[in-house]
Amino acid sequence: MTRGAPTVGVVKFASCDGCQLSLLDLEDHLLEITGTFDIVEFAEATSRRSPGPYDVLLVEGSVSTEEQAAEILELRAQARTLVTIGACATAGGIQALRNWADHDEYRRAVYAHPEYVASLATSTPVSSHVRVDAELHGCPIDRGELLELLSALAVGRRPQIREDAVCLACKRRGVVCVTVARGIPCLGPVTNAGCGAICPAMDRGCYGCFGPRPEANMPSLTGSFLASGGTRADVARLFEGFTAYAEPFRTTVSDLRGRGPEEDADAQQ
Amino acid sequence: MSEAGQGHRYFLARHRLADLIDVLRGAGGRARTVIGPTVEQGAIVYAEIDTAADLPVGWRDEQAPGHYRLRREGDERAFAYAVGPTAWKRHLFPPARVRMEVAAEPGADGTRFEPTQPAASATVLLGARGCELAAMRVQDRVFRGGPYVDDHYADARDAAFVVAVQCTHPASTCFCTSMRSGPGVEAGYDLRLTEIADGFVVEAGTDAGGEVLVSLRLDPADEERAGEAHAAVAACAETVTHRNRGVDPIRARDLDMYPEHPRWDEVAARCLACTNCTMVCPTCFCSRDVQQSVLARPDGTVERQWDSCFTAEFAAVAGGSFRSRIRDRYRQWLTHKFSTWWPQFGTPGCVGCGRCIVWCPVEIDVREEIAAIGTSAPESDAQDGGERRGDVDLGPQALTTSPGGVPEPPPRTGTVERVTTETSDTVTLRVRTPPGLEAQPGQFVLAAVPRVGAPPISVSRLEPGTLELTVRSVGPATAALCRLGPGDPLGLAGAYGRGWPIEAARGNDVIVVAGGIGLAPLRPVIDAVLADRDSYGDVSVYVGARTPDDMIYSAEIGTWEQRRDVTAARIVDRAGPDWLGPVGVVTQLFADTAREAASTVAFVCGPERMMQASVDALVDSGMRAESIWLTTERHMECGVGLCGHCQLGPYFVCRDGPVFTAAELGPYLGVEGI
Repeated sequence: MTRGAPTVGVVKFASCDGCQLSLLDLEDHLLEITGTFDIVEFAEATSRRSPGPYDVLLVEGSVSTEEQAAEILELRAQARTLVTIGACATAGGIQALRNWADHDEYRRAVYAHPEYVASLATSTPVSSHVRVDAELHGCPIDRGELLELLSALAVGRRPQIREDAVCLACKRRGVVCVTVARGIPCLGPVTNAGCGAICPAMDRGCYGCFGPRPEANMPSLTGSFLASGGTRADVARLFEGFTAYAEPFRTTVSDLRGRGPEEDADAQQ
Repeated sequence: MSEAGQGHRYFLARHRLADLIDVLRGAGGRARTVIGPTVEQGAIVYAEIDTAADLPVGWRDEQAPGHYRLRREGDERAFAYAVGPTAWKRHLFPPARVRMEVAAEPGADGTRFEPTQPAASATVLLGARGCELAAMRVQDRVFRGGPYVDDHYADARDAAFVVAVQCTHPASTCFCTSMRSGPGVEAGYDLRLTEIADGFVVEAGTDAGGEVLVSLRLDPADEERAGEAHAAVAACAETVTHRNRGVDPIRARDLDMYPEHPRWDEVAARCLACTNCTMVCPTCFCSRDVQQSVLARPDGTVERQWDSCFTAEFAAVAGGSFRSRIRDRYRQWLTHKFSTWWPQFGTPGCVGCGRCIVWCPVEIDVREEIAAIGTSAPESDAQDGGERRGDVDLGPQALTTSPGGVPEPPPRTGTVERVTTETSDTVTLRVRTPPGLEAQPGQFVLAAVPRVGAPPISVSRLEPGTLELTVRSVGPATAALCRLGPGDPLGLAGAYGRGWPIEAARGNDVIVVAGGIGLAPLRPVIDAVLADRDSYGDVSVYVGARTPDDMIYSAEIGTWEQRRDVTAARIVDRAGPDWLGPVGVVTQLFADTAREAASTVAFVCGPERMMQASVDALVDSGMRAESIWLTTERHMECGVGLCGHCQLGPYFVCRDGPVFTAAELGPYLGVEGI
């Protein structure tokens, strides 16, 4: 650790820890990372604890309980730069599918003693609760993007992470469009790049784990899927994944299903 | 057989295709990499070929808007397909390459910018079609036409041995006959193949191609085979022309005259802005420069990557995107391909290969869009009326490029001598000019901070040995510039662009109108005019700013106000506590003064709306648009006309501007989304 190095915290809410592990997955760079930043809070890696303040706070996971909803407010106050990492933190995660369902019914179906489970009716992204300075998308995040974020913070450049469609990375990589050449529905045109087009390169359609692009043209793409013979339920299923609760996937799913999700937790507060 | 074989037709029996590939791989004693068609991922793509068995023998393609399928015919034919998703640009202008290595180490020479040197290996491009050779000629003009050239592209192009294959099996999406690019191949090949029933008719187009034929010891093609080859290509042309929908390239050239046609909204509702059309297009050349470095390491690279005019950040500057809507971007792409490419490069940017139609996931067909906009446009919509198009020869001769120009130069390292704080977010850096850097008033430099970025900054003062840059902190790269202190190094590339015509203004009355930081590029004009005051008539300087605190060079404006031989005035949108001057818009300062059209020159810079209002006011006061000079802002990435970002109608702002006359910019100034 360098004296005066920026302090970094890594915290989590409702999530699987996979995104945090992407940081440990940067094996070749770990010593450099700890030489560049002072990691003061990272339960997966160190027993050091710090309540803040943090120069950079990486937040994994969605807000799924009342305690988390309170804690994120406190963490925001302690963080100079707050970056959400992964589909749970940026979009509510796969657990946000409960936002369209009966929460109590889900609890009863999953837990032997649902009365011990104190969860909110909705799973929501961190940005529904506090201001977020930057987001790393994906389930899990791409470790190359994480390294770029840290590198950009280290030298003071804008992170070279763009609002591109998966298609741009897919074509640069030389992958043949799976929709055009094989008729496979692919969410690439409406999904954020960042993964390197892993799924199309493996002969399958993108399932949107990096979340919707800000300018996703949903009516056109869903219209095309429906015109290709998919039922409304089939098309809804395509979007009902890790980022279903992020707009405009959320509205698309609701429209196709004919029912909307529960309101945001922040609206309930 | 004859010595070099050029101009003669030979017969390559089908079973000897393997010999051809062997000779190509090793011809002339040098090992060449053969890139050719092969079946991969459900399509015929271009990849490295080892043997004839790698070719798509017996395969056929079926192509339609948004649709591509292969099927096995089971015959012996190796080239019985139309172009697939790969364009040869992948090998000549790769999707990503390191353009420059940079370093930010301590010490006098610690800041470095080293361009990477081209080192293309000998490559055979096997199976290039007529439209694809036309596309190479189009990109030759972009990358080799000058004044700055992409030396990596040029090197790769020179190292390529081209084996062209004439088309005999077109797709429904082909419209090469419209764009005069195929199906035959007329120029630009070393060898030309035409597939017939029992093999190939082969011709050499160069001595290198002739050598290959000599070493194969081929017999001349007999009349029957030569006739079969000719008939196959002619039949293909007939099919493309009469079965397929086409495009009239001369009519399509007028697309940019209808920027408000309702069809743009209709196609934008379908367009995903996914960039697929631009990625598969064999002529699309836009790129972005990506800063790369790891953590706190002092070294890094700048990687040039394929970009697309459909991305959100393509036309973005600090204040937002000039093309924020998909409609704006689709219109930019289509009008660039078919209209504005002409004044830029002398040809259309489309070769009729149909890739953008096939690989559009939502089946947008440019042929339909052009027909809808070009034939249904009401006359009154036309932005510049009248016949502006002469007869145009689209043949291969017309497309031949004349290589010229110098490689894009890297930044040179200069040293900050002094930093002056102008406003809360703006500083002026006085920089010792690195050797070899020459600048004119109105030009800009790319001010490079290693690992961070290289934003374009106008030169705000020129003195022997130094130049000044006035920088407003609007993002991380400009913030890094604003953090520099005396003695710090920074990179300077340029100076680039067309500057102010100060010499030509001698003998005239001079009006300078500035808005906000727009005064920065105008200050060298004022310096030059005041240094040679007697050569000019009346001199007026009008400066507007949002508030008194946002006014740069405030003390200097005071000295102009003091002079008897200068009329100077300033105005603010909102007053501050000590402001006693006028409040309002800058045009208030000069709108009521009548001007002599023949002997007045105006220089204007500021926000686009302010410039538009100033032009209107100056024209109303008697000036001619040809005598009003403006400097424009667009997203500039490379500074030398190669990256495509800064287009404004037919112009590359970096190369053709940034200084333009109001007459030149007239149709584009203030048009949303251009």
